[in-house]
Amino acid sequence: MAVATPTRTPVLSTPGGKKATWTLINIIVVVYALFPVAWIVSLSLKSSESLTDKNFFPVDPTFEHYETIFSKESSLFIRPLINSIGISLIATLIAVVLGTMAAYAIARLDFPGKRALIGFSLLVAMFPQISLVSPLFEMERVLGLFDTWPGLILPFVTFALPLAIYTLSAFFREIPWELEKAAKMDGATPGQAFRRVIAPLAAPGVFTTAILVFIFCWNDFLFSISLTSTEASRTVPAALAFFTGASQFESPTGPLSAAAVIITIPIIVFVLFFQRRIVAGLTSGAVKG
Amino acid sequence: MTVTAEPQKAAPETKAKIGLSEGKRAERRLAWWLCAPAVIVMLAVTAWPIIYSIWLSLQRYDLRFPNDTEFVGLDNYIAVLSNGYWWTAFGVTMLITIVSVVIELVLGMTLALIMHRALVGRGLVRTVSLIPYGIVTVVAAFSWFYAWDQSSGYLTGMESAPLTSQWSSLFIIILAEVWKTTPFMALLLMAGLALVPEDLLKAASMDGASAWQRFTKVMVPVMKPAILVALLFRTLDAFRIFDNIFVLTKGQNDTSSVSMQAYNNLLKGLNLGIGSTMSVLIFIAVAIIAFLFIKVFGTAAPGSDTEGRR
Amino acid sequence: MGIAPFRGQPVTGRRRLFTALAAGLVAAPMVAACGTEQGNIITLYYADQEYVPGIVATCNEQAGDEYEIVHRVLPRDADGQREQMVRRLAAEDSDLDLLGLDVTWVPEFAEAGWLAEFTGSNKEAASEDVLEIPLETATWNDKLYAATMNTNVQLLWYDKTLTPTPPETWEEMLEMSQELKDEGKPYEILFTGAQYEGLVVAFNTLVNSAGGHILSEDGTKVEMDSGAMAALRMLQKVATSGLVSPSLSASQEQQIHEAFAAPDTKAAFQINWPYVWAVTPTLNEEKAENLAWAPLPGLDGHPGAATVGGFDIGVSAYSQKKDLAFKAALCLRSAEQQKYAAICAGVPPTLESLYSDETPIAPCKPEVSQDRLSMADAYPMKETILDELETASVRPLTPVYQNLSTITSKLLSPPSDINVNQTAGELREQLNEALQSQGVLP
Repeated sequence: MAVATPTRTPVLSTPGGKKATWTLINIIVVVYALFPVAWIVSLSLKSSESLTDKNFFPVDPTFEHYETIFSKESSLFIRPLINSIGISLIATLIAVVLGTMAAYAIARLDFPGKRALIGFSLLVAMFPQISLVSPLFEMERVLGLFDTWPGLILPFVTFALPLAIYTLSAFFREIPWELEKAAKMDGATPGQAFRRVIAPLAAPGVFTTAILVFIFCWNDFLFSISLTSTEASRTVPAALAFFTGASQFESPTGPLSAAAVIITIPIIVFVLFFQRRIVAGLTSGAVKG
Repeated sequence: MTVTAEPQKAAPETKAKIGLSEGKRAERRLAWWLCAPAVIVMLAVTAWPIIYSIWLSLQRYDLRFPNDTEFVGLDNYIAVLSNGYWWTAFGVTMLITIVSVVIELVLGMTLALIMHRALVGRGLVRTVSLIPYGIVTVVAAFSWFYAWDQSSGYLTGMESAPLTSQWSSLFIIILAEVWKTTPFMALLLMAGLALVPEDLLKAASMDGASAWQRFTKVMVPVMKPAILVALLFRTLDAFRIFDNIFVLTKGQNDTSSVSMQAYNNLLKGLNLGIGSTMSVLIFIAVAIIAFLFIKVFGTAAPGSDTEGRR
Repeated sequence: MGIAPFRGQPVTGRRRLFTALAAGLVAAPMVAACGTEQGNIITLYYADQEYVPGIVATCNEQAGDEYEIVHRVLPRDADGQREQMVRRLAAEDSDLDLLGLDVTWVPEFAEAGWLAEFTGSNKEAASEDVLEIPLETATWNDKLYAATMNTNVQLLWYDKTLTPTPPETWEEMLEMSQELKDEGKPYEILFTGAQYEGLVVAFNTLVNSAGGHILSEDGTKVEMDSGAMAALRMLQKVATSGLVSPSLSASQEQQIHEAFAAPDTKAAFQINWPYVWAVTPTLNEEKAENLAWAPLPGLDGHPGAATVGGFDIGVSAYSQKKDLAFKAALCLRSAEQQKYAAICAGVPPTLESLYSDETPIAPCKPEVSQDRLSMADAYPMKETILDELETASVRPLTPVYQNLSTITSKLLSPPSDINVNQTAGELREQLNEALQSQGVLP
């Protein structure tokens, strides 16, 4: 795997002072990265009365907003949460399966049209998604896909595919292909070699790609606000626009923050448990000599 | 992840008795079969809409006056390209793109060096810096929104509302954009850093090169491909900025990006003709940016051997 | 309801993966289809207003088996609500039956052919007892396209310890404010000055108060007469007088009522909707006791004239169950329901008789309080509201209202930067383009 494995250099000396400097730098980075996250968590724990007190930390932490979003109008948050999870998972699965097939072909097989395929996925990756919104809407209306799970899964898969193909083909280039050759010498067809030999070796790369694709789908906002209209398929980022305050003219700061915190949890979990993999995935295809 | 198949156990049934050309043909067939599903999905979702957008952009087509629909040639392009709002949005988009990408490059390089060199807590630094990358853009945008909001924000007084004037709004939009994407930039750059040979640095150091000289004369040239790819992807991404602006300002006070404006004309104004014209123009702008990077700066075309992602 | 088939176990091998995939694809449309396609379901696309669940429940109870209204919640901001409905109506979606319409949307929806006309007995039932101005908001080209749900007019709210007698004109209000400022007392004049619909309402109110017009009577030409110019001058004057909050260009309804009720407030006046009466005691009881209301100030020798707000309810032209939908619409806006919404959720009714109604209703929130409130309890200011409704004006009635509003708020923002002649010229030109649907939205 093309993980950047940095080597510690002796360029820096005097360990004691350096250590303090590094600790300070670390603190700066941690504060930088966690600042907005901490703020939204803090907002979600403030009571309705203290939301406007402008303190960074809540003076009277309460879970009232979490209770609100998980109890009352459950369809306003629970349903979108289920949609977000379901749609992102299915889209991830499809994108990874299709991406694996294509990436294998790109990394290993020689065929005319390879460059065209790469160019085309690059085109899709650069595509301004806004241009798709109205034609896709009309298309989905005609096909009955508007406001359904498949209606969102389709564009998610489309825009996740370039990501999946690039990351996976980079991983696949790192696989020891002699093993495949050996299998072929033993008489396996290219298909069998793919299934029996390469697939297991590719699993870590596939898993990493799945995480990246999931994060990508989880993040979507534009398609969710344009291609859904009821809780049948609306995902959480879009649902945040439906939260309401105490009256027509008040803002739903508390419940919205609580919902925001909930959908950040999976990201935190991924980052905590799969930090190495995500870093490897993001850097693998990016740079090679 | 447990995929259970022993690598070595290959099926021995078929002996390799086929000629080379036939083997080649089989390989091609397999390759095409493997790529077909991905290609079909991507084509289905993008090809028709592109053609349809181009077609709509040549029509007068306002959903509120369906009876007035007619073919108007390039009139919509003239209308958009001679309109002050479009150029304001274009200027704003370019400004956000350039400023945020430059800041990201500097901060990202710093962060990459930190992650690369860190003596203590390297894992910690890498882990936390992935959070901005992974967090849902809308969530982060709401956090910034409430931080600068007049009634709830700890960053503002009761009397100030930075999100309601152009320059302070742009500052906050760029801040949100930079915060979210710097770690991604840093990771791409870190991969480039790993390619810098240590002995080269050591040699330069012995020749009396300062740290800055080592950076500009040794590291940057080696990292150039990585830097360009990172810049290409971030630039294309920043140019399409939508989520952050949608949440932070809704495009008010001259903070609309071109994507935001296309959205407004399409979905708020219901003017499919004008809105599609904007979509096509955005697409052309994106293509020009990519072309410039690849042809002029010599960015290795992603996918040849050097890929990146959005 | 079926949910995607993932229970957290790792996927082991491609076959299982494909099975899961297939199951997911099959399950997804089923999830989506649940709960629709029943013969007597009437969908109500309406903002998540406090009173909706209550009136929907009552109507469903009264309807028995005849129909069942299902409330589909729309986003909280008006633009989002409109976008949701418009996108689907443009695609001739038959899943929408009843539409909750802001009063400014009716001409647009009607002109596009998205609303079914109220005729015959439906029209009679939907117009009877309805105040004239609110009824006008539901009418387009002399046909009735919606039933009125609630109306709304802004009032002048003031602190009676600061100004025992409220100002009657804008000029007077500026003088009073200046005096208070010189005395070191709270003095600010608060109104909605942010770049959004609220600024258009503020401007429209000023135009009407000066007896002017932005558009011609039939809504096809830009007028911008002397009254409109006077309004523009006053808006500029107020914004630069030093008597408004520095955050005027960030002020929406919420910022105003919060700033007015803040313990260290600098505000003496706010122009805002009647909900202020209910919300202020929850923020600052002392301030609430001194809170008083008055009709909006006049301008240029004319009496103040409010801009009418509120909601109407329409029947989609693509509904497959129009007869039931009309019935449901009439139930949702009946006198009983409007009274409930008025007392329990603070939205002024559109029926004249309710303003003199004295019978209390059942407790709004029995679990909180057993109080049985009447109109007089919830609306001590009902006479003022009624008076204002007599002279209130409707925002320009035109199918392209959305574009006009976007452009108007854009050009007037921030109000302190208005250059009367130049801004008026830009308004004339760009509103005109918008009326021809040739303009580009900012």
